[in-house]
Amino acid sequence: YTGQGGQESEDYESEEQLQHRILTAALEFVPEHGWTAEAIAEGAKTLGLSAAAAGMFHSDGSELILHFVSQCNTKLSELLEQEQKLVQLGEAEKKPTDQFLRDAVQARLRMLIPYIEKWPQALSILLLPHNIPSSLNLLTSMIDDIWHYAGDQSTDFNWYTRRAVLTGIYNTTELVMIQDSSPDFEDTWRFLENRVADAMNMGNTANQVQSTGEAVVQGLMGAAVTVSYAETSRAVR
Amino acid sequence: AAAGLCRYRALLARRGGALRALCGSVRGLAAGPETHFGFQTVTEEERREKIYRVFESVAKKYDVMNDSMTLGIHRVWKDILVHKMNPSPGTLLLDVAGGTGDIAFRFINYVRSVRERQLQRKLRHHQNLSWQEIAESYQEDKSKSLGDSQVVVCDINKEMLKVGKQKAQHLGYSEGLSWVLGNAEELPFDDDKFDVYTIAFGIRNVTRIDLALQEAYRVLKPGGRFLCLEFSQVSNSLLSRLYDLYSFQVIPVLGEVIAGDWKSYQYLVESIRRFPPQEEFKAMIEDAGFFKVDYQNLNSGIVAIHSGFKL
Repeated sequence: YTGQGGQESEDYESEEQLQHRILTAALEFVPEHGWTAEAIAEGAKTLGLSAAAAGMFHSDGSELILHFVSQCNTKLSELLEQEQKLVQLGEAEKKPTDQFLRDAVQARLRMLIPYIEKWPQALSILLLPHNIPSSLNLLTSMIDDIWHYAGDQSTDFNWYTRRAVLTGIYNTTELVMIQDSSPDFEDTWRFLENRVADAMNMGNTANQVQSTGEAVVQGLMGAAVTVSYAETSRAVR
Repeated sequence: AAAGLCRYRALLARRGGALRALCGSVRGLAAGPETHFGFQTVTEEERREKIYRVFESVAKKYDVMNDSMTLGIHRVWKDILVHKMNPSPGTLLLDVAGGTGDIAFRFINYVRSVRERQLQRKLRHHQNLSWQEIAESYQEDKSKSLGDSQVVVCDINKEMLKVGKQKAQHLGYSEGLSWVLGNAEELPFDDDKFDVYTIAFGIRNVTRIDLALQEAYRVLKPGGRFLCLEFSQVSNSLLSRLYDLYSFQVIPVLGEVIAGDWKSYQYLVESIRRFPPQEEFKAMIEDAGFFKVDYQNLNSGIVAIHSGFKL
């Protein structure tokens, strides 16, 4: 039902751009007011607009949270892009996969630190039915990004398992971080390290299972051949 | 007699029209541009006069009639409007055609409860202050129970304002409330003054709606919101037929029985039919310069809330 009137000139800001500006300005009021329409109203006021402009957004603060998550993901992508450039220029060493994942997830989660007190509220709002499509979208594209910069070239079923695994690691670490009270969240980073190590081992175990499986299959095949040979020779006799 | 009067007036209007055609480009000399009054055709000046007289005569029974015509549902509609507005303390509201103050009183209640919640939250954070400091904070907060919020009720009709003021006194509303006599087509306020502009069940009585919308745009601050609660077109055809039946058969009778005024309520019902439908009104609001214009139907379109922002 939304419409858009008025002329468009070169330095004319679109509605969307203005909305983004308001939401960005609102972030600084989140620690005090939470992810609410009040924070958005305060943000609008700093831009010289009436507090009534907060009426443009949902009263539950959904858009503010989604805007923040999207901003964090963009920052993460830029960070990873820069790191990749350094590696390509030879100024830095290419990290092994487990360390790369650990650093990427840690960098992303650290962006939550200024808002960590109100973050549980944000998570519950992101789980509301009308927000799930957008929040899921943002989550999966962030995970994709991380794997892309980690050098994941797979096009087989591994693509799905890798995403599922990293999503699991990210979500569980986020939940641990929310109730972590250790200095500089060191408990969280240790948890993260363990989960990533588990995931790597699981990959090895999977390979082991596969080779063991192959050996078993070969054994069975051999047994089947021997048995059938014995049968046919008995039949012949 | 009424029919005869109508025909006579229509004749006058037509003759005025012929005269105007003769005078060529001299507009407004004879009878002025034509418009509608309910299902009649009248000039703009006549319309303003007639509508003034309608509300002058219904003012005292306005609230009673609202309750009986809508079976009390108008209260819910007005509640929804204020909830949609979600005003924060410190908001400056202009309620145009606000006559008997329904929206203004709801606004004050809402802001008061939001303010109370804010104060409670602040107190919870004050757990480790000394008793002295807490007592001091009580003192300074008490004087701002509305948190600087203000509502200005503007109406063109003296009788309606009188009834509104009496109601306010009776219900105990005094703080943050002011009453101004003014015309929606030409508001007596400066530019960029108000956070929110509301007009509930008033805009269909305005003769030049485009002027009222332009004035609304003018007096709103940048970022300010325009909210209009008004009868609109019903989409559901079965409901529409029942609604028509109720409107034309029951309401004027109620008007005669309760307020002793059949004609005014006949006008009211006709004026609802004459008001542009949701999409058309939305386009008019956009023409005045508002952005993010949308509408919400209540009761399948019997009533609609249009909202727009000055960006």
